[in-house]
Formats: sequence, structure tokens, C-alpha cells
Amino acid sequence: MNALKGLILILLFVSSQSSLSQLRIEITGGAEDPINIAVVPIDWKLEFPQEEYLHEIIKKDLESFGEFKVLPPEGMLSFPSTEEEVFYRDWRLLNVDYLVVGHANKSEIEGELKISYFIFDIARERVIHKAILSGSIKSIRRVAHNMSDKIYKKVQGIPGIFSTRLAYIDKPSLDDKNYNLRISDIDGFNGISLFSSPQPIMSPNWSPLGDRMAYVSFEEGTSRIFIQTISTGTRSGIKLEKGINSSPNWSPKGDKLAAVLSKEGNPDIFLYDLKRESWSQITEHFGIDTEPDWSPNGKSLLFTSNRSGSPQIYQVNVRSKRVKRLTFEGTYNARARYSPDGKSIVFVHRRDGVFHIATQKIKSGKVRILTDTSLDESPTISPNGNVVIYATKRKDEDILAGITIDGKTKFILPSLRGEVREPAWSPILD
Amino acid sequence: MTLTRKSLLISLSFLITACGSISNERASDASAVSASASGAYSDQGITSSNVLYFAYDKSDVNSEGRAKIRNLAKIINKEGLNVRIEGHCDERGTREYNLALGESRAKTVAELLVINGVSSSKISTVSYGEEKPAASGSNENSWSQNRRALIKTF
Repeated sequence: MNALKGLILILLFVSSQSSLSQLRIEITGGAEDPINIAVVPIDWKLEFPQEEYLHEIIKKDLESFGEFKVLPPEGMLSFPSTEEEVFYRDWRLLNVDYLVVGHANKSEIEGELKISYFIFDIARERVIHKAILSGSIKSIRRVAHNMSDKIYKKVQGIPGIFSTRLAYIDKPSLDDKNYNLRISDIDGFNGISLFSSPQPIMSPNWSPLGDRMAYVSFEEGTSRIFIQTISTGTRSGIKLEKGINSSPNWSPKGDKLAAVLSKEGNPDIFLYDLKRESWSQITEHFGIDTEPDWSPNGKSLLFTSNRSGSPQIYQVNVRSKRVKRLTFEGTYNARARYSPDGKSIVFVHRRDGVFHIATQKIKSGKVRILTDTSLDESPTISPNGNVVIYATKRKDEDILAGITIDGKTKFILPSLRGEVREPAWSPILD
Repeated sequence: MTLTRKSLLISLSFLITACGSISNERASDASAVSASASGAYSDQGITSSNVLYFAYDKSDVNSEGRAKIRNLAKIINKEGLNVRIEGHCDERGTREYNLALGESRAKTVAELLVINGVSSSKISTVSYGEEKPAASGSNENSWSQNRRALIKTF
């Protein structure tokens, strides 16, 4: 069948694109008990060969964070592509929990394809999802990621994150003397520099719809917050104040930025109203207040303050401006981010002089250290709450690494370009 | 409940459990366009650069540094120079927190210049936090070179 012919063609096309990618997921430790799933090569009914195999991309996606083990085609007894062609016993014999089959056809729309696919629960002997997925032939990787997201959602019950993107900052290197703000797909493909400058760039933050990026640029010789529209490259600086202008963080509604200004003499948390183009003050203290992060419900902000003598995480109610201290373990807790359910925080925690990423349930206050690397910083949480990517060091080099929130799977994202830092995970992009 | 309603409910629930409906899904294209800084700041016009070093997580200037600032203040006033003070940190700690720490270093130096007679209108301060290290490497030797303030005159 077509898929088998396809397997031979794979040798011709594989890795032509991966050599261009800037970040790659490399698993360093995995979950003990993955879900077994088979993804049968999609029956390709278009008149030209597939340049990249959908089932291969889906396999890589699902295995990214250690939750799934995907059966390769070599181990399959049959290659169904429709609902009728599936014999459950074939897959039970192979200890498969779930099965994905499908076929791809040309669409009525020029340059597009349509994939009819089915997800089966083998133990229960039933179809748990059938869909017709359309997308651009040129963006075949996005089509595959979209399928991976649907499979993930149907099996795990929470959204998949394989169509999301990652923003990060490149350190200047011998090849490129500029700082670069880059984005790539979460698997490291399709990397592009969004903004390039001979002066530092910091603190990238996605708008809630994932269409714009806020970041700090020093191009004017001082820190200033800029907003850039991703699809057009159009950018503009927001109203500049004296001193530090930094740490932008979009409100869940997208109408405001929380940020840090030091115009009153020391850094405090402010809100910038994007429509009125005006600032209003949230915290007022002679110490350092910085690193704001909006709660998912938009009612409060996390921030770091040294008002107690050492940096600790606080929460401020945006309306009442009432401040509450959240961290009490250790003498360095900073750069906190809310989990998507708003019940936990992930932050930088120093223990025995070593900086780790830690998590804490807001209510119980109990700290759990997630990482065993050192000089860890800038944690960013996947929009489904399952994975944390952070910046760390490997042999004195700035790299990105990740860990699932249950601590079971660790991975690194080695850059093919040079040193990288400040990862920022996009929201789910529709 | 009438028989027809019952059978309708049964067939409905059958549809749901059997997942009879086909959903229509769409994978969106994701495009992005690059931009770059034009006419970015450079040190063009800076005539001298003096450096002061700091202890970890501290922004106070030692006696050696104070003597250096006194001398510099005399030159600045004599020659009518403008001053740009840049505060820097080592890589330990979070980036935004270090940006605040770098500012407090730059401001301490600015205050000392003012105490020594330099007009505050001649002084500007900027913090680069840990973004522009003088030395790479994750060890005390590099870190001590990176915890610094630069006093640039023009």
C-alpha cells in the first residue's frame, strides 16, 4: 500500500528540514509507564509524494514529553486507513491502548488537503474521535501537530500543546553579533528571528491570543517596552518613563500590561492601559518590586519583592492593592508564574546556594523542587499546565531545558545556533 | 415518557457514545515577519569609561571606589562633561531582579557624583542587569568582573 512505498521515500526526504531547526527536544529521562499508541502511516491519496510523513511527526510529538510510546510501522500487523479496515484483535495482540488511522485527499481548495482520521480505544473497541482536518499542504507540520493535539486531548482529557510555539532570546555569537528575539514551533522547527538588535533584548511575553509579543529592548540606550505584531513585524514602543521600563506581562483579556517602572525612584509594579496609553501604579514600596504575572482570572498579580530583606514572592489584588506574601522557605524566591488553573506557582528557588525551579501550591505553601540542574531561571509553563521549560547552564553555556510538572520526564532543547535563554511558551494557538 | 421520545433518547445517547459525528477541524498557518532595530544606541561620542566593582547582591561603593569617584567628579566639573552611568550584575539571580539591582548600583554612583559637586542634570543612569557581561563563565572570577558600574563621560 501507499504507506509502504512511502517508507522508502522517507530516506530521501527525512532531516532535510531538521538541520535548519534551532532547538530540538532531546529526552534525558522518561516516564516509567507510557500509554501505548499506534499511528498507522496516513494513506496518502494526493498525486505527489509527502515530503514529511505525518505519522512520523505525530510520533515525535506524542513522545516529546514521555507520556506516550508510539508503535512504529515495522511492528504493525496491518495498515488500515479507514474505520472498516480496523480489526481490534490485531492491535490487542500488540498491546496497543489507542490506534490512529486515516487517509489524506486533495481538497477543493487549491493548495489544501483534507485528512479523514479516526482514533480508536482498543480495550473498549470503539471509535473515540472521527474528524476531517483541513490545512495547507505547505504547512504539513502544522497539520500533523494539530492532529497530535486532538489525539492528546481525546486520550488525556486536557489540551495538547504540539501546535504551540516558544519564544526565546539568542545571545550574540561570533556568527551574529546581534541579540535576537526568536520564535519557533515547540519542537524546534520553523525558527525565525522576530527582532534583531545590537543592544540587549529581554523578557518576551505573548499576548493572550498569541498574535503579539511584548518585550524589552535597549535599542534607545535605555530599557523600553515594545509591542510587535507577529504576522506583520510591525512594532512600536509604549509610553516611556524615566528609569527602568521592563517586565511586561499581558492581562488575560489582553487590554493591559503589568510592568515595572522605577520612575518614582525604585522599581514598582504598574499597569499600562493599552487603549488609553496610560500608566497606573499598583505597588508602592521603597524596596525592589518586579516580575509581575497575571493570575488566569485577571484579579491578582504575582510579583517578586525584597521588602522583607530577601527576594520573596507576593500576590497583590489588582483592585484593592492588598499584598500577601506567598513564599517563606529559603532566602531567594523569584520570577513566579501562575499555573493555568491559578492554584500553583512555579518560580526560581535558591537552596544551598544553588538556583532551581520549584513549584508550590498557593494554599498549602509547600515547596517542591523540580529541577536538579543549577543556575536555573525564567520558568515558563505550557498552556495545559503539564510541562515547564526553563533556562539553565550546561558546561558554562546557556541552554533551555524542560521537565514535566510531575517531575517524571526531563528533556533539554539543544540549540543548533548558539546560546539561548528566556523561554516564553505561547498560549494555545487556534 | 412516550415510546418515541424514549427511542430518540436512546439513539441520541448511542450517537454520543459511538461518537457518530464527524468533526470538522482546521490547522491554521502560522506566519511571522522579522524586524530589526534601526539607528540603535552606540557608545559613539563617549570619551572615557571608568569602572567600579561591587560585592554580590550589594550596591554600596567601597573606599577605593569613593576615591575614584571624587577624582572623576573634579575632572567632570572642570571639563564640563556629561556622564552616563551603567549598572551591571553577575548572572546569579533572575534577570529582572538583576535589572533592579543594576539600577541601584548606577544610582549609588550617581548620588556620590552629586555629593562631589556634579550637577544631577549632567547625569543619566541606565541598568543593563546581567545582559551585558564583561566576562563569560560561571565562576567567581567572571562574576566579580561583571558586578560593576561604568562611568562614561562625553
